[in-house]
Amino acid sequence: MKVLYSWLRDFVDVTDGPAEIGRRLSLRGLALEGIEPAPAGEEPPGRTPIDGDAVLDFDVTANRPDCMSVVGIAREIATVYRLPLRLPAPDAPGHLRTGALTPVDQATFRVTLEAPALCPRYVGAAATVAVGPSPGWMQRRLTALGVRPISNIVDITNYVLLELGQPMHAFDHTRLAGNAIVVRAARPGETLTTLDGKSRALTPSMLVIADAANAAAIGGVMGGLESEVRPDTTRIVFESAWFAPGSVRATSKALGLRSEASMRFERGLDQTGAGRGMARACALVEFLGAGSVDGTMVDAVARPFSPRVVPLTHAHVEGLLGMPVPVPEVERILDALGFTATADAARASWQVRVPGWRPDIARPEDLIEEVGRHHGFEHLPATFPPVFQAPPPSDPRIARDAAARRGMLALGFSEAISFAFIDAAAAAPFSAGEPPIALANPLSETFAVMRPSVLAGVIDAVSHNRRHGRRDVRLFEIATAFAARGERRSLAAAWTGAAAGDHWSGGRRDVDFFDVKGVVEHVGTALGVPLAFTLVEPDYLVAGRAAAVVAGTRQVGVCGLLAPALADARGIPRADDVYVLELDLDAITATAPPGATRVVPLPRFPAVVRDVSLLVDDTLSGATVRDTIQRAAPATLVSLREFDRYQGRGVPAGKVSVSLRLTFRADDRTLTDDEVGAAMTAVLAATRSALGAEQR
Amino acid sequence: MSSLDELTALISSYQQAFTEALAAADGTPASARQAAIDALKVAWTGRKSGKIADLMAHLPSLPPADRKAFGQQVNALKTAVETALADREARLAASRRPADAVDITLPGRAPAIGHRHPLSLVREEVQTIFTRLGYQVLEGPEIEDDYHNFEALNMPESHPARDMQDTLYLARAVQAAPVTPWAAAEAPRARGPQPLTLLRTHTSAMQIRYMEQHDPPVRLVAIGPVYRRDNLDLTHTPMFHQCEGLVVGKGITLAHLKGTLLAMAEALFGAGTQVRFRPSFFPYTEPSAEVDVACIRCKGTGCPVCKHTGWLEILGSGMVHPAVFEAVGYDPSEVTGFAFGMGIERVAMLKWDVGDIRLFYENDLRFLEQFSV
Ligand SMILES: [Zn+2]
Repeated sequence: MKVLYSWLRDFVDVTDGPAEIGRRLSLRGLALEGIEPAPAGEEPPGRTPIDGDAVLDFDVTANRPDCMSVVGIAREIATVYRLPLRLPAPDAPGHLRTGALTPVDQATFRVTLEAPALCPRYVGAAATVAVGPSPGWMQRRLTALGVRPISNIVDITNYVLLELGQPMHAFDHTRLAGNAIVVRAARPGETLTTLDGKSRALTPSMLVIADAANAAAIGGVMGGLESEVRPDTTRIVFESAWFAPGSVRATSKALGLRSEASMRFERGLDQTGAGRGMARACALVEFLGAGSVDGTMVDAVARPFSPRVVPLTHAHVEGLLGMPVPVPEVERILDALGFTATADAARASWQVRVPGWRPDIARPEDLIEEVGRHHGFEHLPATFPPVFQAPPPSDPRIARDAAARRGMLALGFSEAISFAFIDAAAAAPFSAGEPPIALANPLSETFAVMRPSVLAGVIDAVSHNRRHGRRDVRLFEIATAFAARGERRSLAAAWTGAAAGDHWSGGRRDVDFFDVKGVVEHVGTALGVPLAFTLVEPDYLVAGRAAAVVAGTRQVGVCGLLAPALADARGIPRADDVYVLELDLDAITATAPPGATRVVPLPRFPAVVRDVSLLVDDTLSGATVRDTIQRAAPATLVSLREFDRYQGRGVPAGKVSVSLRLTFRADDRTLTDDEVGAAMTAVLAATRSALGAEQR
Repeated sequence: MSSLDELTALISSYQQAFTEALAAADGTPASARQAAIDALKVAWTGRKSGKIADLMAHLPSLPPADRKAFGQQVNALKTAVETALADREARLAASRRPADAVDITLPGRAPAIGHRHPLSLVREEVQTIFTRLGYQVLEGPEIEDDYHNFEALNMPESHPARDMQDTLYLARAVQAAPVTPWAAAEAPRARGPQPLTLLRTHTSAMQIRYMEQHDPPVRLVAIGPVYRRDNLDLTHTPMFHQCEGLVVGKGITLAHLKGTLLAMAEALFGAGTQVRFRPSFFPYTEPSAEVDVACIRCKGTGCPVCKHTGWLEILGSGMVHPAVFEAVGYDPSEVTGFAFGMGIERVAMLKWDVGDIRLFYENDLRFLEQFSV
């Protein structure tokens, strides 16, 4: 809301300049957005121009329709500076006078309220006018606040809107068919050409001001072109009404039409303000010499306004704020803001009558905010809330995700954070036939659907880094993936370029499947859940370089080489091998064994190590060889692992030489050579008979 | 006969000559230094033709009474020469590198260690601060229903405050139970599952879910991503992260909120950081306040970062609105509470002088690698 400093001074004799006023109001709830110098020019008769006049622009919060006016902001200034507020009144001199209009049931026109819920009060008054330009001082004040002067009559309606916050409208009386003003719902199929020249299709949920035949204005939003005041207009009817906020808001939104009037009505205006606005507008017609008013007004009231009375106790004020506010200060603030506080005998509580311009005040807490902000939040002490109990445990996902994060960081992966919405094409490969969750009003096609996989964002992050010259990239992200069945927390990672040895001494090696498999195993260790691998070939991974990750019997993720076509589609060079993994952390922790890790005592007896090399068919999986050995060996076999695989000279085609290290140990004795020898004999016999393996 | 004075002058000139010869040897390349030292040894301490021996040869020419004094002077010179040469030899030996020596100036082999994302660092810092203050830390669903995101927070349909947060809606409502691992076994006030229709615009939705499930007192922070239909620019992204704080109990005051936020500001931005409350409006708090911290660059004297105001806005806060308590079945005459919501990006931008919020979402390693591991 823009206000002119000199206009404010019509109502309050503040001596501080615009900048200081802005600074002090910013600490009392009206944030100053900016100050601009105001153009010099005429002042109203009897007032002297002010040096350094300026336009102050305040950010008025949605709960304060009263501050969408010069008088509303002047009232705040008067409260801050402890100065009296001077309002336009019938006995005020000069340009601050208001009219005194005689209420009548029917004037030269009739008013009918057919939709009392949407318009409970409508004030109309007629005048005979000579349309012409308004005086320079009025034009200057309107222009300074961004309103274009049009004619004396239209300028008066805008002047009252800015000054008092009461939207006004002027109809050409002669164009109101049947001398009737009917406030009713729009008829199905009804249209109206508004002042901006656009034809508007109306619906029955919208409120119109109509004459005996047609809609002449959209209530609280905009007038119609047909009945507008023109240079040759001689008779007018002023409208000053109260329209229900929800209806104006819905209509304005549906029509895509916001006006100075609709902006105020939709926040909720003062039901008692309609009469004041009319009295002010009529007085200005005569003060400007723009015509003569009839002196009567039709004040149609379907539902009389009854002011709210809110109880307030002093103990509540101090108890909620946590600071002392003396009783006289509470009363001073309420009085200055226009509340009428009636104290009990002990002055420990009040019945507070709320003025019509404060529809936001409904509860004691609302009044406490008024007292608190004008007493000053700077007086709040910094104290601590008492602790009532030990805090309940935090969300288990936080510690779980932190463990996974530490695991990934230790393996050289940096942490990424991506937008949760991605383009539909990026989501498609991960949707598994199920359509992703789409947004109704995305910012752009780039952000059209919620990611079904966190991998999508990580892949785009790899692409970004590749485009910026980074060959070796390791990134991971822990975030939410979305599907119709719900949200799940996912760990996704991508690894491209060097796996090791990017050093002048050599030994560089590019990442391969076993690197990414090792990462998955490490995450399993970090989370305390053993992870296994089975064959899977989703479309977005390369067949033969992909595995499903399994916890217990449940698939909890995948790892493998990203399909080159997909990498290419996201801007990654086709030649790059990008290994990826994605793990469903919620699914993994759901299978976690209960209970804490328990330390296994260190062995008391030495282990015996035996290496063996076997020639087997190269189609035989490592797991099959290990399983065969495991089944044949006694319980003293405590560890078994491949340490070499060799094909080439000395190994027949179709065969591979697998070297395994077997570690035997017993808990209760030192194993003898004979025992280990017998175990090895059993192992070799089993591999020979079951797998056709020969010892090399 | 020679006089002692003459010979003393001669010793001085020898001393001077040795100092010069030693400096010349020091100036030779390291590879030739041993040879230079050896040559000096021969020239000065050689038994027959060395210069010390030469000096000694003058002894007989002195009167017997002066011989002792002369001998002491020559010996002193001899000791000095021998000491200097031994020192040079020791230094040279120490500097000689073994054949398998490494060039310690070559780059080390960097272990692969990942870097934390700055938003993750701030998030953890905030979690740590509030854990220290006795809060539980929670996360909540990112896809929400209208009731928890708006209606229960005193923002009924057609409330003008809904315009303050431009909402992203789902094209089709989702029927899925929100994931809330902290949910109580018995939650008599929780509403039945509702169609999820929007991306939460603030973490405040969590307040409602938690209070429906648990009786007061409450002392929690909820951290996570939130979504608004804001175009990308230097200070806006359509997704950002928020930290929500909520304390409910008997006698909670606005002053408690100030003390709490002051403690947080000092922990985040350094001891002595000032905070300032400015009255504001949020539908779900009454009274409401925007909170500023004294500019961390200029300490309040005014600079471009704070637009010369000396203050930086970091969060919105207030006392929980009684209508919110009513929505979750708390009795507003029994309990009060405070709530606050802070942007994690905003804090990160201030802490590390990040001028463009979009950098947080590009995941450029050149950016990420500037943060701790
Ligand atoms: Zn500054």
